[in-house]
Amino acid sequence: MQENSDSARFAYVGKSVLRVEAIEKLTGLAMYVSDMSLPGMLYAQVKKSPHARARIKHIDISRAAALVGVRAVLTGAELNYRLGLYIVDKDILAKGEVRHYGEAVAAVAADTLEIARKAVDLIDVEYEVLDPVLNHMDALKEGAPLVHPDLGTYDYVEAAFTPVPGTNIANLSKLRKGDVQKGFDESTWIIEREYDNPSVQHVPMETHVAIVQWGKNDNVTIWSSAQSPFTVRNLFCYAFKLPLNKVRVLVPHVGGGFGGKAGIHIEPLVACLSKKAGGRPVKLQASREEEFSLLPCRSALTYKIKTGVSAEGKILAQQMWMYWDAGAYADYAVNVTRASGYSAAGPYEIPNAWIDAYTVYTNKPYGTAYRGFGHVEFHWGVERHMDLIARAIGMDPLEFRLKNALRPGSVSLTGERITDNTGDVLTCISEVAKAINYGKLTEEEKERERRTGRKIGKGIAALHKAPAMPSNTATAAVIKMNSDGTVNVNVGLMEIGQGSTTAITQIVAERLGFRLDQIKVTLEKDTDRDPYDWQTVASKGLILTGNACVLACEDLLKKGYEVAAQALCAHPEDLTHDADRIYVIHRPSEMISWARLSIGYTYPDGKSIGGPLIGVGQYIAHGLSNLDKETGQGNPALDWTYGAHGIIAEVDGVTGEYKVLKVASAFDVGKVINPGMVRGQAVGGMIQGLGTAICEGYVFDKQGHLLNPSFTDNKIPTTMDLPEEIETIVVETPQLDGPYGVRGVGEHSMISVAPALGNAIQAAVGADLTHMPMRFEDVWRAMRNKEPVDNWITKTPAGSCRSDPTTRRHEPDAAIAP
Amino acid sequence: MLHQFSYVAPKSREELLDLLSTDYAHAKILAGGTDLLVNIRNGTVKPGMVIDIKKIKEFSGITYSKGEGLVLRPAVTINDVLRDPTVRDYFPLLQECGHDLASYQIRNRATVIGNVVNASPCSDMAPALLCLDSQVVLASSRGTRTVPLKEFFIGVKKTVLAPDEIVERIIVPTQAKGAIGKYRKLKRINGHDLGIIGVAVAVVNGHVRIAVSSAAPTPVVTEGLPMDIQVDEAVEITMNMISPISDVRCTKEYREFMVNTFVRRLLAEVRG
Amino acid sequence: MKIRLTVNSQVYERDVAENRTLLRFIREDVGLTGTKEGCGAGECGACTVYMNGKTVNSCMVLAVEADGAAIETIEGEAVDGMLSKLQEAFDRNHAVQCGFCTPGMLISAKELIHNHPKPTVEQIKEGLEGNLCRCTGYQQIIEAVLDTTGQLTRKEGLEYAGK
Repeated sequence: MQENSDSARFAYVGKSVLRVEAIEKLTGLAMYVSDMSLPGMLYAQVKKSPHARARIKHIDISRAAALVGVRAVLTGAELNYRLGLYIVDKDILAKGEVRHYGEAVAAVAADTLEIARKAVDLIDVEYEVLDPVLNHMDALKEGAPLVHPDLGTYDYVEAAFTPVPGTNIANLSKLRKGDVQKGFDESTWIIEREYDNPSVQHVPMETHVAIVQWGKNDNVTIWSSAQSPFTVRNLFCYAFKLPLNKVRVLVPHVGGGFGGKAGIHIEPLVACLSKKAGGRPVKLQASREEEFSLLPCRSALTYKIKTGVSAEGKILAQQMWMYWDAGAYADYAVNVTRASGYSAAGPYEIPNAWIDAYTVYTNKPYGTAYRGFGHVEFHWGVERHMDLIARAIGMDPLEFRLKNALRPGSVSLTGERITDNTGDVLTCISEVAKAINYGKLTEEEKERERRTGRKIGKGIAALHKAPAMPSNTATAAVIKMNSDGTVNVNVGLMEIGQGSTTAITQIVAERLGFRLDQIKVTLEKDTDRDPYDWQTVASKGLILTGNACVLACEDLLKKGYEVAAQALCAHPEDLTHDADRIYVIHRPSEMISWARLSIGYTYPDGKSIGGPLIGVGQYIAHGLSNLDKETGQGNPALDWTYGAHGIIAEVDGVTGEYKVLKVASAFDVGKVINPGMVRGQAVGGMIQGLGTAICEGYVFDKQGHLLNPSFTDNKIPTTMDLPEEIETIVVETPQLDGPYGVRGVGEHSMISVAPALGNAIQAAVGADLTHMPMRFEDVWRAMRNKEPVDNWITKTPAGSCRSDPTTRRHEPDAAIAP
Repeated sequence: MLHQFSYVAPKSREELLDLLSTDYAHAKILAGGTDLLVNIRNGTVKPGMVIDIKKIKEFSGITYSKGEGLVLRPAVTINDVLRDPTVRDYFPLLQECGHDLASYQIRNRATVIGNVVNASPCSDMAPALLCLDSQVVLASSRGTRTVPLKEFFIGVKKTVLAPDEIVERIIVPTQAKGAIGKYRKLKRINGHDLGIIGVAVAVVNGHVRIAVSSAAPTPVVTEGLPMDIQVDEAVEITMNMISPISDVRCTKEYREFMVNTFVRRLLAEVRG
Repeated sequence: MKIRLTVNSQVYERDVAENRTLLRFIREDVGLTGTKEGCGAGECGACTVYMNGKTVNSCMVLAVEADGAAIETIEGEAVDGMLSKLQEAFDRNHAVQCGFCTPGMLISAKELIHNHPKPTVEQIKEGLEGNLCRCTGYQQIIEAVLDTTGQLTRKEGLEYAGK
């Protein structure tokens, strides 16, 4: 699918074309589901659990139902539909038992928001509070309370996942490559440590919102702030046992997703309210507080890594244990586990690898997809570990990385051979090292240290990620020509701010040879109108939908040429075209305008040929396979995007306060379609990564109440938190099956920001952190070797933010067991 | 979506005090609303009546005179203070603290007196006002009284304000004019955040004063300390007046350490 | 309670409940949905509008307080279909992604430029501190403001390795 050639000859590819929907967004006219209301629409509110785990003894809805203006009240008892992406484990409203703080137990639809709120307050729920299991490591212990005692009865996707009934293990993914014991035996160094991160919230600026109308004959219409309209339709129909053609999902502009809107969330509840209210449309918008616990978050992770290294600094073996905290429901967390399991070592060659990756149920808000899909979390461990190893064996961390990074000829964890066109992590690492003058302080920096009394440190971290998607991930594009020669492009890929619509417009214009203003890619999605697309996730949109569009363009041109050849009495091979017409190459005056061909060509005598020009392109990921359940071997990766960050940080050696002075990032994007937008993804993701690194994370008390479900105590970066300098570098090693050579880059910018910062902080003041975020207090504690604070319930009893490394020289009998 | 209440906007001080003399039990004063409306939304405050005082003409404006000192009235916002040339020239510590309060839009609405009356332990304006020995003028239909700000706070979000009283003015005395001071606030990010701790140190009238927020049930301040006080002694006096706790923002231990450190650093800065 | 005010110079007279916020009044009673709600608690700035020439978080203002006020929202920024210079600069500099924070961000940026016709980067950061954006990482927004005030030193924001 590659159209690789010199950039200069492209009209639109590689150019900073302006965002196609910018003007509606800049003028306030862009319509989001939050902004919509329908005639007769009711407003929903949810009654939420104040407990992490409790038996629902009784729910009294009588006072709520009696309130004037209340049109529907629902509890779990009357809803026998279960949901789940990969493991069908979630009721629409809690039945029998609540499994996390903030879980929905009842819901109301009323004439106004005020009445709905009042009605929810009037619902009385009697609970028997049970001991929750809050820490995922505790949940693995013998005798831990079971979050899902009925796990063995749930439906799940057997090809990819392995739940363990009778435990809290929602999934165990394994990977075995080579002989890890042999690798350790041959190693001079064995270095082992554990790394942690807490749950984190996505924080899209538009909270989750849906309007649903359960119409006559079970025709359901859903307007939702969803990333993946076809997934909403699919899972909705599965839960309610409806044919797919009865349910229509419409998605207008979406105010940010970041993975949090990838699955199905509030839509089924709103649908049930609409049905109960006699088919009136019902709207539910999560409050910011609800966004933190009614809606899902990113899973916490405890990651233990044991690495064997040769005397020369080559990694010979690595054993990895991942414990992912799913929270109360499996949702995407099991797939995060699977996807992280097969990339768990970062962009390095590990000849002998052994991974057990667990997804563990706990009584906490549940985890879902989040930009990076596990890679932000485990790269924290991997890239802190790389620095640890380098220090332990007396090698420079940059040199150690370059020595072990994947390169052509390397074999990945799952057995894939890296080629010249897989992407170039070595250049990414070298470029960021150069951009921050890695390994030394400049005269200016030394002067700054003297002036401020603070210490400057530099750190680097590399990253990789492939789309986490089924082997049969597919999409399609339909390009319809209008009678004036303009075209409408229908694709299922969502615009959630990432700029795909503009990039697709550029690709279509380039491939058709049309002007940009002739192309309109539909922005709002409609499952009744647009062709199937799996999901808008995984940084795969531009490759798959881009390829489908290239094929659709070719189909459209071919059909146009056929009619034109007939009309012009020429061979199709002798024809060429521009934006306005098709003509005979050697006699340009013999031409037909696209407008005259668009809906069929009519001869002067009225006879007609052809018909409306419609180009269709289908594309499915090629060559991917399911992974062997015992060894994890197979081919899961559509493409690998490599990258690296280099960070300069300035740290107060007394207080632990710090400032990020510079971030340099490099990504091998294959081919830049739109520089302005690539930079937007690179910088936006990097700042989101800094948020994760510096300050974000859920804080619970010992009963499992979420203590910081708002911007007051869950801070996210502001303008003031930008580094003083940001540099974004792209490497262009073409992806041979990507349109124009592209590969995805939407998530990658967020990955490995935290460890690069951790490495910089350690270089500056020696603070050796194994837990993120790195709050100032954490840095202070680490500098002074104080007992860390555990606000995150990653371990019990208190104390988690430190893991002392084990470093030892060759011990042939070193056991594999943890 | 807010709890239901009635709204009145008296046009004069007398009208306001009259209203409070009969209706105070369920009334809340609305000035900038940046705390009140958050609290109503959270359901922590459920007033029957909200009294908007911004339509009262004499409640606006910052004035300064030798006799009266700097007078801050109930509708004076943080941004009013940040723009005021008199404050800039003579009471710069107020601007330094004000500048660290929330975001620009909030500063457009939030009032100095509101920030004080809420008596939050993490008030940003209190450390400066305490250092500058400010006085609070309370008014009710029963008359007015003046209380030193130091005695105004009595507990977490508790003050000496009677239910029918309002704070009509905060007065920064003329003696504090030209005071040199510095404020340091520990935050979780560089952007707007509540103070995890705040320390102000000022040289006022030949004495050093140290005020601390977020480290005790109320913002606290030392007596005027001698200019040449030993650093360790100043730190000890400060540490004796605070009683920090651990919460989601920070531990007691780090709060204590940071107060200690900020006091040392700020003392060095203000003493030159 | 009856209130009378102007929104983007149009007069509106409405009966509103005392507990209605200015934000909901603008969005639901006037029907201008460009002003967004991101948190409802004055923390995110998505609801920023001008009230009597000052920017406020409209979720933290009662509609009744705005009786007699002049309100300006994002819908008043483009005149006769022509984008303002600021809007054009946001477009040109890729300062928009999902767009949900954009209306509030533009209002704050307008106020910032009003206060500082030639702002420093530090002043821009302070002026926009109250407007959270989760997509852009702010950098291109800051560049858009600098571009508006004629201070952007043009350079390719993306560096190509090996070129």
